[in-house]
Amino acid sequence: MANETKRDILLDVQHLKKYFNVAGGQLHAVDDVSFTLERGKTLGIVGESGCGKSTTGRAILRLIEPTSGSVYFEGQDISKLSKEEMRKLRKEIQIIFQDPFSSLNPRQTVSQTIEEPLKIHGMKNKAERQARVRELMETVGLAERLANAYPHELDGGRRQRIGIARALAMNPKFIVCDEPVSALDVSIQAQILNLMKDIQRKHGITYIFITHDLSVVNHFSDDIAVMYLGRMVEKAPAEALFEEPLHPYTKALLSAIPVPNIHSKKERILLKGEVTSPINPPKACRFASRCEYATDKCRCEEPELIEVKPDHFVACHLLKKE
Amino acid sequence: MNAANTRKIPKKKSQAYEIWRRFKKNKTAMAALIVLSLIILSTLCADFIWDYQKDACSINIKNRLQHPSWEHPLGTDELGRDMLCRLVYGARASLTVGILGTSFALLVGGTLGAIGGYYGGKLDNLIMRCTDVLLAIPGLLLCIAIMSAFKSNVFYISLSLGISYISKFTRIVRSSILSVRDQEYVEAARAIGASDFSIITKHVLMNCMAPIFVQYALAIGSRILSVSTLSYIGMGIQAPTPDWGNMLSGARAFIRGNTYLVMGPGVALLLTISSFNLIGDGLRDAMDPRLKK
Amino acid sequence: MSNDMNKTNDVMLDIKNLVVEFKTEDETVQAINGIDLKINKGKTHGLVGETGAGKTTTALSILNLVPFPAEKPTAGTIELDGVHLYKTNEKGECVPALTEKDYQSIRGEKVAMIFQDPMTALNPIFTVGDQIAESVRLHQNVDQAKAMERAREMLELVGIPAKRADDYPHQFSGGMKQRVVIAMALACNPSLLIADEPTTALDVTIQAQVLEMMRGLRDKFGTSVLMITHDLGIIAEMCDEVSVMYAGRIVEYGNLEDIFDNTRHPYTQGLFNSLPNIEDRKAELKPIRGLMPNPADLPKGCAFCPRCDYAMEICKTVRPERKWLSETHCVECHLYDDGKDVSKL
Repeated sequence: MANETKRDILLDVQHLKKYFNVAGGQLHAVDDVSFTLERGKTLGIVGESGCGKSTTGRAILRLIEPTSGSVYFEGQDISKLSKEEMRKLRKEIQIIFQDPFSSLNPRQTVSQTIEEPLKIHGMKNKAERQARVRELMETVGLAERLANAYPHELDGGRRQRIGIARALAMNPKFIVCDEPVSALDVSIQAQILNLMKDIQRKHGITYIFITHDLSVVNHFSDDIAVMYLGRMVEKAPAEALFEEPLHPYTKALLSAIPVPNIHSKKERILLKGEVTSPINPPKACRFASRCEYATDKCRCEEPELIEVKPDHFVACHLLKKE
Repeated sequence: MNAANTRKIPKKKSQAYEIWRRFKKNKTAMAALIVLSLIILSTLCADFIWDYQKDACSINIKNRLQHPSWEHPLGTDELGRDMLCRLVYGARASLTVGILGTSFALLVGGTLGAIGGYYGGKLDNLIMRCTDVLLAIPGLLLCIAIMSAFKSNVFYISLSLGISYISKFTRIVRSSILSVRDQEYVEAARAIGASDFSIITKHVLMNCMAPIFVQYALAIGSRILSVSTLSYIGMGIQAPTPDWGNMLSGARAFIRGNTYLVMGPGVALLLTISSFNLIGDGLRDAMDPRLKK
Repeated sequence: MSNDMNKTNDVMLDIKNLVVEFKTEDETVQAINGIDLKINKGKTHGLVGETGAGKTTTALSILNLVPFPAEKPTAGTIELDGVHLYKTNEKGECVPALTEKDYQSIRGEKVAMIFQDPMTALNPIFTVGDQIAESVRLHQNVDQAKAMERAREMLELVGIPAKRADDYPHQFSGGMKQRVVIAMALACNPSLLIADEPTTALDVTIQAQVLEMMRGLRDKFGTSVLMITHDLGIIAEMCDEVSVMYAGRIVEYGNLEDIFDNTRHPYTQGLFNSLPNIEDRKAELKPIRGLMPNPADLPKGCAFCPRCDYAMEICKTVRPERKWLSETHCVECHLYDDGKDVSKL
C-alpha cells in the first residue's frame, strides 16, 4: 500500500490555514498548523472553545475547504483532489461527531444510517449489505433488535455507537473524532472510549482525537497538540506533555483541571487578562495578553513552533532548542 | 428464540405504513380525508349518472330556477340545468386546476428554492431576487394578465395559477432547507461521500417535507379558491363548462329569491378547502417520527 | 428518620422524603423517589449524578418551580431556615406551605439559583447593571440609584470593573456572563445559593477562575451552597459534603473523605472507575455496564441492580434501606445489610 518509510507517516499536514470572512475582518480559525501523524497512532488536539480544533479536523477532511495549506494522506495531497476524487477517498477517511443528537438523520433508522456509506461506495448486493450492517452493529455493541429503531428512540451512548458504526462501515484508515464523548455521561463516556480503543487495536485505525477534556485526551492519545486561538502552541508525546508542559498556556491549562482526588495538592495558575480576538489578530504571540511571562518580543513577533526537545515542539519565545 | 432466527433483522413496516398508521389516529384529518375522497369519487362517477353535454351544459328554459326537489336535489339554475350535476362536474374542473397548478408551482418553486438554499451564494441571491419581483406582482393580476394573453383552457389556467404561486414555494423550501442544511447529519452525509443530489433529497428535503407538504395542501385549497375567483369575474373557466366560481357568478343575480343557488358551490368550496387544510395539518403530525407514540 | 440528632438552628435546608413524579397519559416518570438532604449553614453540599438522576428537579422543588406536569412534589417536606416550604397534610400528601407571593419573595432573596447556561440567563436588551439592579429592587425597598450602586458593587465583587455595568450582555464573554449571573444571584445576600452546573458551559481555565471566585464569595458571606454537578473534580474542590444521586435516590452520602477515600456504594465506585486517571494514563477505564434505567419503569428492588457487579438476589426485589456506616457516612446498598462491612469493594 503506502511506501514504507522509517516512520510510517499516514497523515502530513503542512501550513493548514482556514480564515473565515466575518463582520469586522478575517477570523483566523486555523492559522498555519503543521504536523505529521504515524499510522495506527492517536493525536489528541486539545484547546478551549474557539481555538480552531474542530475547524482543523474538518479542514483536513475538506468538509470545510481550507484557505491554504496541504494535507498529504498516504503521500497524496488531498487538498488538490477534485470533488469527485475526494468523494471516493472518503471511505478511507472518516469522522465521528460530537453531538450524537444532531449528527444522525432523524428520519433514518439505525440500519439505514449504517447502510448508507455501503450503498454509496458500491456494495450492490442487498444481502451483503445487511450482513455488513449486522457485523458493524455487533462491533460497536448495538443489539440487533435496534436495527429499525429511529435515533430519537435511543439514548446518547447508543446514538454515538451508531455514529461510530457509520464511520467504520468502509474500513477507514483514518478517523477524526470531534469531541466524541463530550455530550455523554461519565459512565457512558468510559464505555465509548473503551470501544474506540478496542476498534483501534483490532483494525489499526489512526485517530485524531479532538477534545477540550484534558484527562480524556491524556488517557486516549499517543501525542497531544495544544491549540490556542488558531495556533498550535505545543505538541509532544502525551506523557512528556503532562509531566513537563513547557508552554505557559499548557501549564495553566493543565493546572486548571479539577482532579477528583481530595489529596492532590497542586498549584493552580489562574490566568488574567483578556483573550485576544481571533479576528485580524496582531502579529504577536496570541497568548501574550494573558501570559505572565510575556516580554516586548512576545507582543510584536509571532513565535514559531520549534523542536525544543526530541519530539517536543513549542511555540514560545521563552524557549530555545536545547 | 434460537440463533438462526435472530440472524434476520426483524422487518418492520414500511415508512409509508407508519405515516398512515399515525395519520389514522388524527380524527379531524381522517374526517377531512373522507370528505375529500367523497368529492373526488363523485366526480369520477359523474359520467355514470349524468350525460355531461345534456345535463350540465345544455339549456332547458322550461326548468329554470326550480327549488330543490327529489328530481333536482339542489334545484336548477337560471338556464334550467341541474345544480347537483353542475356542482359535481364543477369539482372536476376546480380540483384539476388546483392540483395541477400547485404541483407546477411546487416543482418549479421547490427546485429553485432547494438549489438556492443548499448552495447559497450568488445563485441563491439571483433566485431570491427573481422571486421577489414575482412576489411584487399581485397574484390575481398576474393570472388575469396571463389569461388575457392565452386561451382560457384548463392547462393555461393551471399554469397561470401555478406561476403566481412559485415564489411562495421557493421561499418555503429555501427556508426549510436553510434550517437543516447546517445540521451535523448533513455534514455526516458529506463525510461518507454522498453526492449532492442524494444529500439534498435524502437528508435535507426528507427533513423539511413537513412544512412543504402542509404548504402544498394549503396551496391546493388556495388555488381552488383562486380559480373560482377568476371564473367569478369571467376570466377563468368559461361557460358552459361548469365551475364553482362561474356558478356563483351566475347565481349572483338571483341570490334574493333563490338562495340555494349559492349554497351548493359555496359549501362545496368551504368543504374542499378546509379538507385540504386539515389533511395538511394531519400529514405534518404523522410525518414526524419524533411525535410517534 | 434516622440521625435527627443535630436538629438545631444551624440547618439551612432540610429536605425530607421528597418525591416528585411526572404523570402523563400513559406513564408516570419517577424523577425523585424519596430523598433526604440537609445543608448546614455556611456549608457547601455537592449533589453529583448523571443526566436524569433528578439533580435539577431537586433544585427546582426548593424554589417551587417544578415544571408541568408535576408542578409540585408528590410527597415530602422542605424546610428552609426553619420555614416550611412544603408540608405534609393529613392525607400524607405534600402541599405548599406558602402562597405563590411568598415563594416569589423567597426566590432571589433567600434562595438564589445559577443555571448552567449563562448565555440564556441574561436578557439581551438590558444592560447588565440594570438587570442586577432590578433583582435588587424586587426584594429590597430601595430606589433605582441605590440599586445601581449595589449592582456596581456586586460586579466589582465578581471581578468585573464597575464601569462595565452599562454594557450589554453580548459585550461579555461566556465566563464574564457567568460572573454577571453570579453577581445577580448574590445581589440580595441569599442565605442559600443553588448552583446548577455553573461551570459546565465554560472552558477549563475560565472554570478555574469562576470556581475560585465562588469559593471566595461563599467564604466572605457565609452562604450555604447546593452545588449540582456531574464533575467529581469540582466536588473535591468546592464541597464539604456530597450526596451521590442515582435514579432519583441518594445512594451514598458523606463528607469528602467518606466519599473519595472510603467509597462504599458500587455506583459511586463505578463513577470513579469511569474517569480517566490523569496521573496514570495507562490505567484501564472500567465503565459501568449498561444504561440508566427508564425513570418511568424503575427496577423493583435497587435501581442500580441491573448494572451492579455485586448484585445479589435480594437486590432484585427489595429496595435497600439507608445504612449509616458512621456519623457522617450513609449508603443505600444491600452489601452493608446486617452490619456487614465490606471494607473495600
